[in-house]
Amino acid sequence: MGSRKPDMIKGTLDMLILKVVSLEPIHGWGISERIQQISEDELQVNQGSLYASLHRLTRQGWLKSEWRVTDNNRRARYYLITRAGQRRLGTELQHWARLAGAVERIVEAN
Amino acid sequence: MRWLSNLRWRLRAIFRRSEMNRELDEEMAFHLEMEAKKNLASGLEPQEARRRAHASFGGKDSQRELVRASWGVGMVDVTLWDLRQSVRQLRRHPAFTTLATLTLALGIGGTVALFSVVDGVLLRALPFDAEERLLTFWSAQNWRGSEFDYLEERVSVFEGFAAYGQNGNTLRGRDGSTLVTLLEGTATLFDVLGTPAHLGRTFVTGDDQPGAEPVAVLSHGLWSQEFGADPAILGTRIDLGGVSTTVVGVMPEGFYFPTPEFRLWVPLVRDPDDQNYQGNGWLELIGRVRADVAPSQLETELVSMTTALGERFDYPDAWDKTKGAYFTPLREHLLGDVRPAVLLLLGSVALVLLMACANVTALTLTRTCDRSGELAVRSALGAGRVRLARQLLTESLTLGLLAGAVGMALAVGLFDLLVASLPLQGGFQETLSLDWTTFAVALALSLAVGGVVSAIPIRGLLAGRLEGALGGARGQGGDAAPDGRMQGALVVAEVLLAVMLVTGATLLVRSVSHLQSLDSGIDPEGVLVLDVLAEQTMDDASLRAFHEQVVEQGAALPGVQAAGLINRLPIRDGGWQGPVGVEDRPDLRDERRPNSMWRTVSPGYFQAMGIEIVQGRAFDDRDGPDAMPTAMVSRSFAATMWPGQDPIGKRVGDRISGTESVTVVGVAEEVRMYGLVGPNTMAMYRPKAQLAPASGNVLVLRTDIEPTALAAQARGLIRRLSSGVAIDRITSMQAVVADAMVEPLRIRFLLSLFALLGLVLGTVGVYGVVSYSVTRRKAEFGIRMALGAQPAVLLREVVQGGIVPVVGGILGGIVASIIFAGALASFLFGVERTDPASFALAGLVLLGAGALAAAIPGYRASRTDPVEALRGE
Repeated sequence: MGSRKPDMIKGTLDMLILKVVSLEPIHGWGISERIQQISEDELQVNQGSLYASLHRLTRQGWLKSEWRVTDNNRRARYYLITRAGQRRLGTELQHWARLAGAVERIVEAN
Repeated sequence: MRWLSNLRWRLRAIFRRSEMNRELDEEMAFHLEMEAKKNLASGLEPQEARRRAHASFGGKDSQRELVRASWGVGMVDVTLWDLRQSVRQLRRHPAFTTLATLTLALGIGGTVALFSVVDGVLLRALPFDAEERLLTFWSAQNWRGSEFDYLEERVSVFEGFAAYGQNGNTLRGRDGSTLVTLLEGTATLFDVLGTPAHLGRTFVTGDDQPGAEPVAVLSHGLWSQEFGADPAILGTRIDLGGVSTTVVGVMPEGFYFPTPEFRLWVPLVRDPDDQNYQGNGWLELIGRVRADVAPSQLETELVSMTTALGERFDYPDAWDKTKGAYFTPLREHLLGDVRPAVLLLLGSVALVLLMACANVTALTLTRTCDRSGELAVRSALGAGRVRLARQLLTESLTLGLLAGAVGMALAVGLFDLLVASLPLQGGFQETLSLDWTTFAVALALSLAVGGVVSAIPIRGLLAGRLEGALGGARGQGGDAAPDGRMQGALVVAEVLLAVMLVTGATLLVRSVSHLQSLDSGIDPEGVLVLDVLAEQTMDDASLRAFHEQVVEQGAALPGVQAAGLINRLPIRDGGWQGPVGVEDRPDLRDERRPNSMWRTVSPGYFQAMGIEIVQGRAFDDRDGPDAMPTAMVSRSFAATMWPGQDPIGKRVGDRISGTESVTVVGVAEEVRMYGLVGPNTMAMYRPKAQLAPASGNVLVLRTDIEPTALAAQARGLIRRLSSGVAIDRITSMQAVVADAMVEPLRIRFLLSLFALLGLVLGTVGVYGVVSYSVTRRKAEFGIRMALGAQPAVLLREVVQGGIVPVVGGILGGIVASIIFAGALASFLFGVERTDPASFALAGLVLLGAGALAAAIPGYRASRTDPVEALRGE
């Protein structure tokens, strides 16, 4: 765990997961890889938290999951976003934008 | 639909746990494999690639726990764990578990069973439409047909008004012995009740007019049992006391009126020429109040009805119906007698349940202290007080449910027995059964009991009061003092409840023995009685011959000393009464004629029943059909009609047989005509030889052997004499007397049973608490013994310590008994409800039981071996 890497703000992991899954059906490892890649290794996800989030989001009906076979002929659990999940992602993104804007304004203030 | 997916997930996490776990493992394995593959691709050695993948993943078990925590079933998991732990605890202490379960099960089972009786009898809706609008118009003397007809034209707040009465007519079943109690009602009766027929019709206007075609309506039960539930019953004719009657309807299942024992209804024909119409009162009146009537209007109506009665009828002061009449809600009228008995028993059994709870609470408290080691360890391992309290609660709830299950089994198994021993009359027993509400009540009670018995230990735990016990080593004195006080309070409560139960039982026992010592005017010992019912078709001559033969040959049976016939049996039957004309009393003419029981007897009756002749003579051969018409009267008849005069030779008018003037030849000792208590109606006896023979009679045989042993011979005799005579209700006169006391006898039985249970529970409770304190103070006793203390001193100290809360409980119990004695009042006879002797007895019994319960551990304390006690430290 790189201590120089920023901590994930509480609640943002769910949003990131929803965002990544909304792009295409994807398994858990894929999600963690995607987040790392897109953030250019700035964000790293704890695997336990990742799967806990995935299961909770599924339980809450934002995601659904199905077992599929990968390109390499391996069985893996793929996550898909539900209609409710899409809506949820929309509101989370709005919230995020507002929050980020507010934080930015405070930081930029002089 | 998100809640649905949530629920589905959680259910899966509870019930398909292993499948979820397998999937999670597979998901994680896949993740590791992909990570390792990635590392391999970046040029690492295979082993190193796997090692790094594992390292980046973190501890597999802790990650797995992290994920599982997101499944949303944490509470369930903890509860299941608690439950498993509870079952393990209960199994590890079989003695505690068995004692506590049985104690609570008795309380729960009894309460549940009696609750379902209360539910069935008192809470369930009566089988009538809008029963709250049904009122009875009541008078102690009952009403006459003429009074009903007069009132019916004058009532204004009722939308329907009806009269009904029991005439003692019976329907003979096909097997010849089933007697069906029937009710006569005016044509309006079923409209007033608001219940339509299940099949066919109820009464219609005109059914109750003189000369109308006789019709009958059957109850659902009678129709099913006697007529095979055949719908073709409508229009067929049945024989009702010799009258061919057409069945016009069947009532719905569950309908009864006025009590379930009535299974047949016929129109009440009011013929102004019938002497019953003007004569004596035997009817009850019921009305359906219009929906828009205010309560105040009812009072006005009552006044106008009684005023109208007073204008039309001339009542003597002794039974002025304009004074004692009032409206009663139908429910109270029908069930008012049943309510106090059932509620009393439910209350008593609830006291037993409370005692059981107190007992188990004390046990739980004791055990919580004893488990200080276990709880301390668990507390040290990080379980918070709340967590421990939860564990205690789960254990108690498990115990409660276990006890509930056993109690329910008890209730189911013993319900019929209980119902049979309830003091219910009027056929209500047959309407009772256990149903789902019973199970719901049992479940609720079990949970409540579980909560209650753990409440005090948990309170102690949360308040940190058990902390000393938890922290300290086992068996050290001193730290138990606060809980000791709590246990003392429990003993006070238990003894208090036990005193209430024992006092109640004692009062009833004394009351019943008073009843049994009442002089009913007869000598019931060694007397066999049986109903002999001849067919209506039998002509007078052969009926008379049969009666003469049955008395003559009955008296000749081996062991029989005397035989006699009477139309209505004393104590049991009642009925057959009417106004009599009394010579020399011009003030008692017409509507002012006094009411008298009318009994027709054969000469041997008085001897057979053991009735003393106080003046004149009993009937004999001189009172034949052609001789002067004669009568005998009861002692109260003679005393009230001719006070201070010689009744022999006086004349009375027998209006029932239509004989204008009969001469009194003897006075018989006062005999209870109906029941054993309350006012007794005076009686006139007529010799059967001078009257047209009646088809139904009671044969009375006095024997010097056990009377019921004679039953078979009596049966054989009657069968030999006539094939057209049915026999019913063969029993001993003593059983008849006992039957009249059935309510106090049965309440005495059940209450004594509960009191005994209470006594046992109380004793066990005292024993448990004292015994426990002795065990805890073993070291102290050992040291004192070693220092030379006398065993007797220790014994006295322990017994005194144990008896103090008992005395407190006794005093409290006596106060509580005085407060609640009102519940018993209606069942007491000849005993004040604050009878000091009963209270003293209950107090002494409890004191003795408490002293004994304390003496056993006290004796153990006095025998403490100092060496052993100190070595145990």
